[in-house]
Amino acid sequence: MKSNGNIVTIRNLSKIYQQGEINVTALDNISLDIAAGEFLTLMGPSGSGKSTLLHIIAGIDRPTSGECHVQGIDVAQLNESQLADWRNQNVGFVFQTFNLIPVLTAYENVELPLLLTRLNRSERRKQVETALDLVGLADRMKHLPKQLSGGQEQRVAIARALVTDPALVVADEPTGNLDSHSAQEVLKVLQLLARDAGKTVIMVTHDPKAAAFGSRSIHLEKGELSN
Amino acid sequence: MTIPTFILKNALRNKRRATLSILSVAVSLFLLVTLLVALREITLPAEDVGAALRVAVRNKISIANLLPARQLAAIERIPGIAAVTPFTWYGGKYKNEEGMTFAQFAMDPKKLRPVFGETKMSEAGYEAFEKEKDAAVIGRISAEKYKLKVGDKITLESTVYPCTMEFKIVGIYSGTPDDRNMLFRHDYLDESSGVEGMVGMWWLRVSSAEEMPGVIDAINKKFANTSAEVRAETERAFQLGFISMWGNIKLLVTLVCSAVVFTLLLVTASTMSMAIRERFRELAILKAIGFRRRELFAFILAESFGLAMAGALIGVGGAYVLFTYGDVAKLTNGLFPSFEVTSKIVGIGTLVAAMLGIIASIMPSLAVAKMSVTDGLKTLD
Repeated sequence: MKSNGNIVTIRNLSKIYQQGEINVTALDNISLDIAAGEFLTLMGPSGSGKSTLLHIIAGIDRPTSGECHVQGIDVAQLNESQLADWRNQNVGFVFQTFNLIPVLTAYENVELPLLLTRLNRSERRKQVETALDLVGLADRMKHLPKQLSGGQEQRVAIARALVTDPALVVADEPTGNLDSHSAQEVLKVLQLLARDAGKTVIMVTHDPKAAAFGSRSIHLEKGELSN
Repeated sequence: MTIPTFILKNALRNKRRATLSILSVAVSLFLLVTLLVALREITLPAEDVGAALRVAVRNKISIANLLPARQLAAIERIPGIAAVTPFTWYGGKYKNEEGMTFAQFAMDPKKLRPVFGETKMSEAGYEAFEKEKDAAVIGRISAEKYKLKVGDKITLESTVYPCTMEFKIVGIYSGTPDDRNMLFRHDYLDESSGVEGMVGMWWLRVSSAEEMPGVIDAINKKFANTSAEVRAETERAFQLGFISMWGNIKLLVTLVCSAVVFTLLLVTASTMSMAIRERFRELAILKAIGFRRRELFAFILAESFGLAMAGALIGVGGAYVLFTYGDVAKLTNGLFPSFEVTSKIVGIGTLVAAMLGIIASIMPSLAVAKMSVTDGLKTLD
C-alpha cells in the first residue's frame, strides 16, 4: 500500500470483541490516513473505540479485519516477536497512569527501552539525557517516581517514549490524571514533539481543551468515525 | 543500568517479602540437608578394609536370641576364616543413668586386633586387655564424655544379666566408625554372670574378599536345622538390618524430605506468583515498549532462581559450615560421630533449590506470556 506521505494508513478496519456469547463491535469499518508530523487527537465518549484504534495503530492489539499500515508495514501481519521489535524501534507510548517502574530512577526508567538496543552505556546516557532535557527534567534524573509530581512523572514517561527516537508517539489520555497546570505542560511537550521534532503524535482524549493542542481532531462514536 | 541490575532491583523491591522468602527457602534447605546427612550417617556403609572383610553371625530368629558358645569350634574350622570372636551385649547402666549411655560388649581380647583391625589403641592397652581379667577398653567419645582415663575403675549394673561388674579401664581406642563402645573380656562375663556357654553373636574376619560369599554360605549351612540356626551376613548388611529394627527409617526420612521440598515449592511458587501479580501492569508496559516474551520469562526466571539460590546459599551453606566446623558428635552425645555434609549432599540441596527456582517461575511466566498488553494495562495497580 502506498503511503503518499502518510505515516498511518487504515482501510476498512474493524475490531470485534467476544464477550461470552455476545460480539461487541469496538471499531466498525474505519478508514483513516494520518500524515507524518501530524498531532492528531482522537476524541469520543467512553466505549467509542478510540483507545482500541490507538492500540491497533501502536501494535499492541490486532484488528479483526481490515488493514493498518504504519510506515508502510502492515502491523497485523507481524508475529509477536516482530511486533515487539517493531514497537521498540517505531512507537513511543504515553499512558494515563504514567506507568513508571517505581524502583527505578527517572534516568533508569527512560533508559529502559534502550536496554533492548545495541547501544553502549555512554551512547545510552547521551540519548537519555537528551530526552530528559527535552521534557525539562534534566535536573530530576536521580529521582524516583515517588519523588516527582504527577506532571513530572508524565514528562518522564514522555521522555521514555522518545528515547528510542520513534517516528510515532501514541498517548492514551496523557492528561487524565493531571491538574490543569501539569496537563498544560505535558500537552505543550507533545505539541513541541510534533511541531519541532517532526514526530507524529496520536493522542486519545475526551477533553476538548486538550484536543485543541492537536493539529487535527477526529471523533469516534460507537466504533465509527463521526466526521 | 544493566539487565541484571534491573532484575535485582525488581527482586528486592519488597525487601521484607524477599527476605522472608529467602529465609523460608534457607530454613527448609537447612532441614533437608540435615535430614540427608542424618540418613547418610545411619546408613553409612563400612568403608575400611577391615570392615569389608568382616562378617556378623547372629541368631536367625532375632539378634536378641543368644547363640551357643560351642559354635565357635565349628566356625573356626570353616576354610577362609582368619579370626572369630564372640560379641555379647552386656546392657550395663553407668552411675544409675536412665538414658542410653554407651554400649558394652564382651569379646575375646585376643581377637580385637585381628577382627577389628581399624581400632587404634596403645600397645600397652592391647597387652593389658589380654592379661587382666577385669580389663576393659573404651571408645574415645565415651571416655571424653564421662571423663574416664586409663586406670579408672567403673562399676556397671547389667540390665540383661543378674550381676554387677567392676571394670578397670586399660585402654582408650579410636578409629572405628563408632568410638563410643566399651569392650571387655567374655570369660569375665561368663564368670560374673554365671551364664556360661552362651554368646550374643559372632564377629569374624575372612581371609580375603573373594572368600566372603563362600564363608557366609558355609556358616549358614553349617547350622541349618540345628537348635540355633544362624544368619551370617556382611557388616554392611548387618548394619542395615539393625537400622531396620527401628522401623523403615529411610522411608520415613525420605517422606519428610519430600514434604520439605513440596512445602518449599509451594512457598516459592506463591511468592513468585504474588510478586508477578502485583507487577502485571508493569510487565504489560515492558511488553508495549518492546520486551519480548522470552525476555520477560528470563526476568521472572532470574528473579525466582535468584531468590531460591540465595536461600540455598544460606541454608545449604549454613548447614555445611555448622556441621563441618561444629562438633555434632558432642552435641548429639556421639549419636552422629561424623555428620559429614558431603559434596553430593551440597549438590542435591543446590539442585533442589535450582529446580524450585525454575518450577516456581513457570506459572507466573505462562500468565505473563498469555497476557495481552491491552489486558495487562487494564490491571489495577
